[in-house]
Amino acid sequence: MHIHAYEKLWLAASVLLILLLLGSVTYGAVGPGVAMVSDSEQPVDATALDEDERFSEPRVEQVGENEYAAYVVAFQFGFQPDPIVIPEDSTVTFYVTSRDVIHGFEVAGTNANTMVVPGEVSEITVETDEPTEYGLICNEYCGAGHHVMEGKVNVVSQAEYENQTSGGDGE
Amino acid sequence: MSEAIEGDRTFVDKFPEEARIVRAALLSSFLALVIGAVLGIIQTLHRTDVARIIPSTDYYTVLTAHGVFMVISFTIFFLVGLFTWAVTRSLDRPLIDIRITWTWYAIMAVGMTMTGVSILAGFTDAIDMSADVLFTFYAPLQAHPMFYAGLAVFIVGSWIAGADYFRTWLAWKRENPGERIPLQTFMVLMTMAMWYIASSAVAASVLIFLLPWSLGLIDQVNPTLTRTLFWFFGHPVVYFWLMPAYLLWYTVLPKIAGGRLFSDPLARVVFVLFLLLSTPVGIHHQYLDPGIAEGFKFISMTNTMFLLLPSLLTAFTVVASVEYGARQRGGTGLLGWLTDLPWRKPEFTGMMLAGLMFAAGGFSGMVNAGMNINYMIHNTIWVPGHFHLTVGTAVALTFMAATYWIWPQISNKPIYSRAVGLFQVVLWFIGMALMSNAMHAQGIMGVPRRTAEPEYSGFEYATMFGGYEELNIQIAIGGTLLFVSTILFIGNLVLTMGNPKVSGLAETLPPALSGPDDAPRVLDNLRLWVAIAVTLVVLAYALPLAAIINRGGLLGPGVGTYPVWLAPGLDALANAATPPLAGDAWASLVEVVR
Amino acid sequence: MGRNETAHAPADDVSGDTEEFDPIGTLTLIGIYFTILVLSWVYIYYIEFLGRDLVVVG
Repeated sequence: MHIHAYEKLWLAASVLLILLLLGSVTYGAVGPGVAMVSDSEQPVDATALDEDERFSEPRVEQVGENEYAAYVVAFQFGFQPDPIVIPEDSTVTFYVTSRDVIHGFEVAGTNANTMVVPGEVSEITVETDEPTEYGLICNEYCGAGHHVMEGKVNVVSQAEYENQTSGGDGE
Repeated sequence: MSEAIEGDRTFVDKFPEEARIVRAALLSSFLALVIGAVLGIIQTLHRTDVARIIPSTDYYTVLTAHGVFMVISFTIFFLVGLFTWAVTRSLDRPLIDIRITWTWYAIMAVGMTMTGVSILAGFTDAIDMSADVLFTFYAPLQAHPMFYAGLAVFIVGSWIAGADYFRTWLAWKRENPGERIPLQTFMVLMTMAMWYIASSAVAASVLIFLLPWSLGLIDQVNPTLTRTLFWFFGHPVVYFWLMPAYLLWYTVLPKIAGGRLFSDPLARVVFVLFLLLSTPVGIHHQYLDPGIAEGFKFISMTNTMFLLLPSLLTAFTVVASVEYGARQRGGTGLLGWLTDLPWRKPEFTGMMLAGLMFAAGGFSGMVNAGMNINYMIHNTIWVPGHFHLTVGTAVALTFMAATYWIWPQISNKPIYSRAVGLFQVVLWFIGMALMSNAMHAQGIMGVPRRTAEPEYSGFEYATMFGGYEELNIQIAIGGTLLFVSTILFIGNLVLTMGNPKVSGLAETLPPALSGPDDAPRVLDNLRLWVAIAVTLVVLAYALPLAAIINRGGLLGPGVGTYPVWLAPGLDALANAATPPLAGDAWASLVEVVR
Repeated sequence: MGRNETAHAPADDVSGDTEEFDPIGTLTLIGIYFTILVLSWVYIYYIEFLGRDLVVVG
């Protein structure tokens, strides 16, 4: 089979490009440690979240030194809790599920982004920095009111976080 | 040789029956294009808040219809028309039985009508029917049964079309023992083989799960399973749209440029690679899905990245073929030959601009294919920004440009105004450049796709490459130019149809510089390639599908049903909402929904 | 018009000129494209993506 020398050159360059892309993604996983949403969580019954220990009361709770877990329920058309209040300079793991249809969970302008599928729990861990307020949006069409489905993720100072959790009943 | 005499006869002179069905398929395709364009402009102006003539709840009816009409109806009707032309022309023999041909055309038309009606009925409350589930129809949102049934009927029609091409080829093979498969037919057969493998999954999803579920025969479905089966089909369908454009770039564009195809063997290799690699990659649409192991996602990414190869090779081969044409026309210099190309021909300029857009789309496609970078752009408007470059321009603009060349061949009628044609293809390019660029930029800001009102009450988007509002204006202007371009295309074609028939329009396609004799025989071994393709699909999908079923069960963990097509369903949906959210917005929404 | 791309196309159409044509312009264009792709990728992956807030690490 006859292939022109230039085309062979281009073929080699193309393979190099592909290796660059695969290499970058692998570097992202190994270097900065970017991890994918995965099958780490067991399936749940989306129609019985009321009886689920984690999701009957969506909340943020401290689970270790500087480690927090946020249990979030997405539904037509909102998120609970809202706002999701988390402390600065901490490691936060979001556990997000849906009690009805497929939704998205996107902290606008950041890398915190996942599908939310009924019956499954999406687990993503992020590290917060300074206090700031992010918009939280559903980025998967979920019904006629999809565009009103929004929430907030508020990163607050440690002092403010503790103030808030000790003030009320944690709600 | 009889070349000169044959060259005087157009396709319609030689194959009037086949030409009629090609025209019918193309017109069906363009009908969908017009409807899609009207829906497109409504959408563009609504999303950007320039003009909102429909309530936001109806936006999703518009969006579903735009998606289905554009990427199922427009693209696939054009494909079957073009493939019918390509098989008949390159085998130089009529189809086996024109009644079968009309049968698959009718089945496809009926299927698309069923699905189309079920979607459009969503605009009126008078009929208890709706299918506002978008092109991806993710369960547990549920459309009216006719939506799913129509899709199944349409796909069956396309299967019969494929069988028609294969049987015609087999008949030709008996008449021409030992000959190489002509290039165009080879491309058609490879594409249809890929289509059988790909569409089997969505057909299974619809017939085993979604249709029985919408009819109430089963209570629930597994959302991850039906989603995965959709994407099993949903990525290769992208190549199903693209392959007719590739066929045109490889076999027609070089001729229009005044040259010939650079390499026939490489064209065959490219189509073999598409057959092998198009399907075992669908999980890259599910990088951010829970319930699917990271390892499966990584395998899918690797396959996806290697799927870049045939497109990168195509870029070289097609540009080299065009360069050859320019050199034949007296072009010189390292890049000076670019000025010696027939830029005044709408079919040439249209296809070249389509190819240029595809090169840009190649970049955003690489980003989409990268596994962890998906966190940045998943389900943002970056993604429609990408596919408006690929299917929305590389495919759509090539189809429109090719129509200026092919329509005279299948009707003996010259194009009404080639000047308007040239203006139209350039307008499309400008419109899409504006719209798509702004969509990509907004996507990086985090603006979501698939929403009627991307502005939210609680926060504002960060600024990047221009502010959110400025980018909205670009999108609105771009979308408007695209709409005008479509209307000019259709108007030109309608006026062309009113032209009197003339003779002397015949065009021939020259052979490749490096012909099929340079291609190893094994390339034509369809059985071998299909067997390898099926093996790769099994390797890529057996374990993920088993894991999904093992986790959630065939019918899923406990999951409800959310019909978009029953008024009581909407009420229940409204009542199910809990108070803590957006009071006013919610109240007004419930009002509108009711 | 149909047969001219099959194997028995006139011999003078396919032989000879294959070796004579070197698509140097194509190689130049595609080299430019390659450079743009690599630079854009490096920007979007290493600067835009890895530089954003809330990188998912688990």
